Amino acid sequence: MTEHSLWRFSRALHRAINDRHFEDIEALIDEDVEWALYGPIDMFPFLGARQGKDAVLDVIRQLADNFQVRRFDRESIMLGVDSAASMLRYSLTALDSNKPISLRVAQFAQFRAGKLISMRVLIDTFDLIEQALGRAIHLPKMTSVG
Amino acid sequence: MTVEKLNRQRVLHLLDTIAADDLEAALSCCTDDIDFLTHAPIDVLPHMGPCHGKQELREFWRTVQARYSETRYQVPQIVAEGDTVAAYLRVFFKKRSNERIIQVDMAVFYTFRGGQVAQIREIIDSYDLVQQVLEREIGPLITGAGADGV
Repeated sequence: MTEHSLWRFSRALHRAINDRHFEDIEALIDEDVEWALYGPIDMFPFLGARQGKDAVLDVIRQLADNFQVRRFDRESIMLGVDSAASMLRYSLTALDSNKPISLRVAQFAQFRAGKLISMRVLIDTFDLIEQALGRAIHLPKMTSVG
Repeated sequence: MTVEKLNRQRVLHLLDTIAADDLEAALSCCTDDIDFLTHAPIDVLPHMGPCHGKQELREFWRTVQARYSETRYQVPQIVAEGDTVAAYLRVFFKKRSNERIIQVDMAVFYTFRGGQVAQIREIIDSYDLVQQVLEREIGPLITGAGADGV
């Protein structure tokens, strides 16, 4: 039984972010990969959509420049033949401030011939921003608008 | 049919019932002790707290119905394994107040028990959702420049 592509990709991604070892992840990304980390790109330039391997590797380098992964727990995972979805709890350290950041993240990945061809990541971005700021954002109480 | 295919169809059916505003049909897809959790700022979206049981979920969906006249789903990706299904959804809500459309991408993880949905977990790009609900940028609220009694 061969290992699912997600596991190889996940190991390589964490090695890239924590150890700045990019060779393994580079070999696991398709040239035409589609990539999206949804969130406010004006605050976090590494968020947003990217197309192509070089652009995605650049994002991964930016993640490595900004964060260290202290711990991650998979709360839920589903493996398809060439796809995977998982919900993870990440404990990160923001390298510029040394602040701990705890995030719940959903990943949807698709692979072809063992290489990543699509990655969509959703984050509770409001929570991310509050943690990055180190304080709550005070919003108006709006009981009927949404 | 495999259990994965069946559960995938069940999720799509649940989404169809919600889009059709048929809340009782949607609730019939869920266990009595359905556990629903999403993550969004309750200052702006006070109904989006955790729900336990059908009655609380009914109230949640009724609140959504009261605020939005139309709900549509696209399902760009769905993955099933065993008793779990993960769906990447693009959801469109039409506001009753001014007919504006809110478009939200969300990750929804469903866990089945006895052919019914027993647990729903959602992750949403909540910052974008809040901006669309408020119909304004909230960056100024963060910097303090726009805390003008919105």
